[in-house]
Amino acid sequence: MNIEKVVTSKTTDRVDIKLLKHIQDGIPLVERPYKEIGEALGMTEEEVISRIRSLLETKKVRRFAASVAHRKIGINSNAMCVWRVPPDRVEAVGKIMAGFPEVTHCYERPTFPDWPYNLFTMIHGYADGECEKVIEEMKEKTGVKDYVILYSEKEFKKTGTRI
Amino acid sequence: MELTREDKKILHRLQSNFPLTPHPFRTLAEELGLEESEVLRRTRAMAEKGIFRRLGPIIDTHEMGNTASLMAMRVPEGRIEEVSRIINAYTGVSHNYLRKGKNKEIPYNVWFTMSAPNKQELVRLIKEIEEKTGLEVRNLPTTKKFKIGVKFSIYKEE
Repeated sequence: MNIEKVVTSKTTDRVDIKLLKHIQDGIPLVERPYKEIGEALGMTEEEVISRIRSLLETKKVRRFAASVAHRKIGINSNAMCVWRVPPDRVEAVGKIMAGFPEVTHCYERPTFPDWPYNLFTMIHGYADGECEKVIEEMKEKTGVKDYVILYSEKEFKKTGTRI
Repeated sequence: MELTREDKKILHRLQSNFPLTPHPFRTLAEELGLEESEVLRRTRAMAEKGIFRRLGPIIDTHEMGNTASLMAMRVPEGRIEEVSRIINAYTGVSHNYLRKGKNKEIPYNVWFTMSAPNKQELVRLIKEIEEKTGLEVRNLPTTKKFKIGVKFSIYKEE
């Protein structure tokens, strides 16, 4: 069983793709959503449930949950902050930054002659100026002083990851 | 929409995995100490008002065998709308923002994320955007993930 899982972990069967395409914009908000999805796709309710469960187990689906529109619930202070971290400190600094509850994303990315910032963080907060406060704390805790706060002037597109 | 305590309680829970049971809203209701009909009604109302975008699978492109990356471009002021229209036309583009540096000038202003079935295809799409716009696209793929997971603190047990 496990061997099969390892072998197929990077391939997703056609029924799974069909299912994901059908529900990627949201499941129906009814008493028995899996039954309704199954009826539309010619599957049983149990099959829908077990396929979603296995997509979660194989991590093809990171979460099966609601994506909250944070600005609509008052989380209005948002910032992307990029940091210039010495390569030998990235591991330690990345872990410290990821530990902040206000930091939702923390990634390392490559640098270029015109782009020396290798650590990317996304920060979200309720109160005005909350992100700046968190950034100050991140700076103090890591000792990394070279950073840029990038704020979004305009959102051209935002959808979830679709297939 | 003013969220009630019950709404916040439901919304907070909806950020974690949704029950995989035949009656998931009943399972949620039992967990939260509410009625199934109330959970369903409030969830529908919040969906209608756009409090959450969707209740469904958050797909991991990488585990699906796909590849995704963050792109940055330097677009002249007068061409921003035109260039972002070209970028947004690609289905693989999930986010696209105009960004400015607050404490320092930065060399790029248009930032977008793009996914493709494989690396070759992603490189091909980048080239295509470069040709269509006549501008350079800086590819900034993730080399290490320290944290990913947008879960907000919406409701706290008093």
